[in-house]
Amino acid sequence: MRPDASLPVDIPLLLARLREWHRRQAKEPLQEKVRILLELQRQELPLLARQRPLHSWERPWDVTP
Amino acid sequence: MASLADVFRVLVQLREEGIVTDYAIGGATAVLFYAEPTRTYDVDVFARLPSVDQSGLASLAPLYRWAESHGFTVDAEHVVVHGVPVQILPAYNALVVDAIHTARVHEYQGVSVRVVDPEHLIALALQAGGARRRERAWLLLQAGVADRLHLRALLDTHGIDAEIPDET
Repeated sequence: MRPDASLPVDIPLLLARLREWHRRQAKEPLQEKVRILLELQRQELPLLARQRPLHSWERPWDVTP
Repeated sequence: MASLADVFRVLVQLREEGIVTDYAIGGATAVLFYAEPTRTYDVDVFARLPSVDQSGLASLAPLYRWAESHGFTVDAEHVVVHGVPVQILPAYNALVVDAIHTARVHEYQGVSVRVVDPEHLIALALQAGGARRRERAWLLLQAGVADRLHLRALLDTHGIDAEIPDET
């Protein structure tokens, strides 16, 4: 099997799907987006801490959506 | 546990008590109201302040005093409100003043909160520069929430050099 055999061939279609995904995400209810943000904060903080020293205020928010 | 609405309620209180003359949420927290979530660990709030110090600059001292008298701690340049770091940024140029003036009022869990509109958010992101802010501008454009004619006029008015593609 050639290395490029599994590469996607329809890039415009994939980009259109990506745009559509962004639009769907944007239309989620606000409270759901806040929930996702709180989850993102928890997931990304350890990764951020590996890249640079954290500021004292950089921590997941201790609130409900 | 407090909710994000409780944090927004404090912003309303700041305005009602005259600690800030006016305010609008900006940055990644504002983007939440129009586009998909992006990571942030603080809430940026642009504000017009009533007090100036002896040098004529807007003073945050009354805000910090108010915060501490209400049991909120100050950490670096942030007021920590119910565990959420809130950075109050005094309006520092004409675009920010305009962004506060034209902010939209959104309802969040029964709290009416002022939020910078999408066109001003994009313009502010492009004016400030940096990869994360450009990404934020792109997200707002991709979400289809910005009036591109209005945005182009805004960029022109404030001398911000950026190409805004037509909607795809």
